[in-house]
Amino acid sequence: MVNESGQLYTIEGFAAALLLVFTIYLILSATNILTPGDTHITDMQLEQLGNDALAMMDTPTQYVETGNAYTAKQSDLEKYIMSPTNANLAEFNSTLSDYLNVKNISRDSLHYNAIVWYRNDVTGSIGSYQFSRSLPAITGREHFVRVTRLVTLSGLPIVPPPDPIFSNPPPAIPPNPPNPTMDNRPQTVLLDVTLWRD
Amino acid sequence: MARLNDDAQWIMLMAFIICIALFFLALIINESTLVGQTTAEGVLDFSKSDIQDLRSEILRIKDVEYTHGPYDPLTINGTRNATIQDIETIGIQRKSSLMQYSIDDTTFITTIHFNNGVTQYDETL
Repeated sequence: MVNESGQLYTIEGFAAALLLVFTIYLILSATNILTPGDTHITDMQLEQLGNDALAMMDTPTQYVETGNAYTAKQSDLEKYIMSPTNANLAEFNSTLSDYLNVKNISRDSLHYNAIVWYRNDVTGSIGSYQFSRSLPAITGREHFVRVTRLVTLSGLPIVPPPDPIFSNPPPAIPPNPPNPTMDNRPQTVLLDVTLWRD
Repeated sequence: MARLNDDAQWIMLMAFIICIALFFLALIINESTLVGQTTAEGVLDFSKSDIQDLRSEILRIKDVEYTHGPYDPLTINGTRNATIQDIETIGIQRKSSLMQYSIDDTTFITTIHFNNGVTQYDETL
């Protein structure tokens, strides 16, 4: 004979089950559990952002019919690396920082460290020099991603005498003369940018 | 001996139901993190940006050297071979990928080769 005296218990049980499941759902959806595997997602976003920023800077911004074949359709990135004057380095720093950090309302806190890699034609080995960086400087403990961009140069980067206006360069941009082992020839260098979120 | 009291049977049953519901919820959450990871890994592994970068740089070199003529007193061949070496050496050492290109002197047909061990890309322009 079926006994129906447990009906109330059943309803109570269902109610308890629903309450528990709903509470667990609320708790789990409110907190963000970041497992080591999840850093791939933020890395991916950072890498896309960095690559896009460099691609934008490597897009020619002018078109001149006549004159020097190289400077006719030069991109900003080529200009910055070809002549790393204090003014150009400051422009590189502000442009890249803006591309990386500008958001709708506030600014993001992304930092970068830019190195130029080149090849010496005599020894066949590669070398590098510090091109630009944001402050605070990289310590090596950051969780960073690397983005790179090939840049074509028409010769050795020309570092002019210090500009009197920028005689005190902004702290974010140290003066960076190219490494002496760099060749004076048309060449392709690699701009190696390390990105991290503070 | 008194009759066996079976009042708590329902409560035990409900406990089992809750357990099973929680188990499936945990399974779903576990799967969701895995999905995000594999997607991001897939995007990171595929070297879209590297190929686009290499391609645009070769087109830039071709444009400067062939459309506008050499931009340096050096011979066009010496210049280009050095640039090919630049891209290949820097690519191997800093990008751990093989990046090569060639431009035919008469037909201007350009071939691009990219291989980073996971993705291989060949193009003839």
